Amino acid sequence: MKMAENALTFLDVSAGYRHHKVLDSVSFSLKAGELVSLIGPNGSGKSTLLKTAAAFIKPLEGKVELFGRDVSHLPPRERAALLGIVPQKLESPMAFTVEQIVTNGRVASMGLFRPATSSDHDLVERAMIYTDVLAMRDRFFGELSGGEQQRVALAMVLAQEPKLIMLDESISHLDINHRNEVLQILLKLNREEQLTILLVSHDLSLSAAISDRLILMQDGAIRAAGIPKDVLKADLLSGVYNCDLQVRQDLYTGALQVSGPIEGQKRSSPTGCRVHVIAGGGSGIELFRRLLLEGHRVTAGVLNLLDSDAEAARALNIEAVFDQPFSPIGAPALQRAGRLSEAADAVIVSHVPFGAGNLVNLDLAAEALKQGRRVYIANGISGRDYTSGKLATQKVEALFNDGAVEWESLHELLTVLHENQK
Amino acid sequence: MDISRESRQRRVLKTDMASTQQRVAVCADNRFTKKKPPLQRLRLVLFLLAVPLLLIVSLMLGPSGIGFPDLDSPVGSAIASLRFSRMLMGMMTGAALAASGVVFQALLRNPLAEPYVLGVSGGAGLGATVSILAGASLALPLSLPVVAFVSAVLTLLLVYGIASQGSAGQPSVYSLILSGVIVSAICSSIIMFLVSTASVDGMHNVIWWMLGSLQPASTAQQQFSALLIVGGLAGCWVLSSRLNALVLGREMAHYQGINAGVVIIVGLLFSTLLAATAVSLSGMIGFVGLIVPHVMRASFGPDHRRLLPLAALGGGVFLVICDAVARTILAPVEIPVGVVTALVGGPFFLLILQRRMKQAWIA
Repeated sequence: MKMAENALTFLDVSAGYRHHKVLDSVSFSLKAGELVSLIGPNGSGKSTLLKTAAAFIKPLEGKVELFGRDVSHLPPRERAALLGIVPQKLESPMAFTVEQIVTNGRVASMGLFRPATSSDHDLVERAMIYTDVLAMRDRFFGELSGGEQQRVALAMVLAQEPKLIMLDESISHLDINHRNEVLQILLKLNREEQLTILLVSHDLSLSAAISDRLILMQDGAIRAAGIPKDVLKADLLSGVYNCDLQVRQDLYTGALQVSGPIEGQKRSSPTGCRVHVIAGGGSGIELFRRLLLEGHRVTAGVLNLLDSDAEAARALNIEAVFDQPFSPIGAPALQRAGRLSEAADAVIVSHVPFGAGNLVNLDLAAEALKQGRRVYIANGISGRDYTSGKLATQKVEALFNDGAVEWESLHELLTVLHENQK
Repeated sequence: MDISRESRQRRVLKTDMASTQQRVAVCADNRFTKKKPPLQRLRLVLFLLAVPLLLIVSLMLGPSGIGFPDLDSPVGSAIASLRFSRMLMGMMTGAALAASGVVFQALLRNPLAEPYVLGVSGGAGLGATVSILAGASLALPLSLPVVAFVSAVLTLLLVYGIASQGSAGQPSVYSLILSGVIVSAICSSIIMFLVSTASVDGMHNVIWWMLGSLQPASTAQQQFSALLIVGGLAGCWVLSSRLNALVLGREMAHYQGINAGVVIIVGLLFSTLLAATAVSLSGMIGFVGLIVPHVMRASFGPDHRRLLPLAALGGGVFLVICDAVARTILAPVEIPVGVVTALVGGPFFLLILQRRMKQAWIA
């Protein structure tokens, strides 16, 4: 009977703040007794989802159900008996002791007029024992370290005795010993008392190891959900997190390990290759940033002064050729840019719009191609070709015929650059 | 000693993991850790002993001489009854202001909050000024306190309404404080304008009212105010466990099953009721509502279930003593009690706060 029950159900829920919708028709459900991890990049809507589940934010559309009951019509006390949330950080401006903080967990069930009973005291006591904060019960909460405060916050929510507990990146501040202890407590409660757990986590490998299911969020929507093996796919994760991620399975334990580009690199090559970027209109900023992060040496040009890419190039100390603002690129600037481009191993054309003024920049790419260097051109040229007679499109088509490579996502481009470098 | 304590707790944790039955038994026992810090208990006992002593001392002080008046002579018994009713006035006003300050500081999570922060003083002062200058206070016996009270509550509603604009009915703490300060400033400008154009008599009356005094009000007003204050104190005290939770922020309180919006509105209403009653009873007496809550919190911790009654008691006694000093020290001239609260109380409380601020607020 219990297995069939849903602890939490989102039905086409859209939610957010004024003028800013964060969740976009999200539907999913947690079964009672499940342990599920919610993963996704920063700003993908995980915390908003938690707030919506607890009716702190009202959904704009759709419905949230807690154990089969509409959460927006649930009296606060009953809601707190069903759902507890451990926040990212608990802040108390007044000097409460640890025990006073944990006692707050009983506040709703104690009611306005009933004093704390011995069972309330026992629950507080037990929560403090579980989280190993008993020894600091008379210390001031504000004087504890971040990890200790996290354990106190968890104790407070455990004292609340909810049937579903959500942890908002709450265990990330803990040291390895206490993280394991807290996880053990959670797993034990999950196993023995059917506590349903939703864990917001950035530790993908850990989430995979302990969770029944993973829910992957991206831009306020659920991108994938299922058992860890089905969600932790390298290409899926790389796309969502917009960086190069590998997923390996441990041969002995079968545990999934997600590792990022940093682990792979081990600071092997401080200097990448030298690339020349043809950009403009803000299309190059992200490109500059990522190329520099990957350790490439970047040059750029010709850029019009006052263009946002020109500002970015200057701010990032990128060697670049500039020409007068709002005017066609002149021959001297083009010549200087040609020298930069000749020194580069590869030329990259960003998603820059082309008009009569900057069309000549494409000649740099043609020249490079003639000299046998690699040229990467962003896709969709016809959509940003503002020259009369679609001259840019013709030029780019010609370049593709001569061996230029078309690129779509930054991630893909960087991977190709990396491979060619080897 | 520390080590053995630590290892005992470890053992508790293990037995606890082993069986649920045993766990409850161990917890209910609490023999290892359940101990109130003895210093704090000592402080509490001393405070509770000091309260009746100070009240008795206040009965011995007055412009007619130091010591108990002779109850057998008609003059003596009149003096005694006057001193006693001033003591009651002081207890009521001080308790209302201090408790109100505790609630404001908790709801607004701000150590600078005090009973007048949301415009109670400005609104009450404006109402009282209008009432005095219009001469209504002479015509109708209860009109001054009633007008002061009503305009204070109206000001709170105005401030709350302004602060709620554009935030979906849930004003943030900062917008509440800011609109309170702005509305107060507007009110005091209007008061100053009215006073500057008033007759000398009117000006004198307004200024005396604003300085505050514990001259006994009419019996009817005292009884009515006592009712409101007791009601307000009880209302705030009922909310005290909610105040504890709200100190952790509105979001966390919501997660713990508290209707934060309702608690904030009800708390503001009760504490404004207290402050407005105090103002209508004794005029504007500053300092008590700001400092007494801090000192009591620093001495007895921020748990509102204890703090609120203790602060009410402390505020009352403090004001009674200040009033006794005010009427005695330059007798037969009486200094405004508001002057004494800050002049005498200020340095004393500064000393306490300097040493114990850490026990009240986290810097």
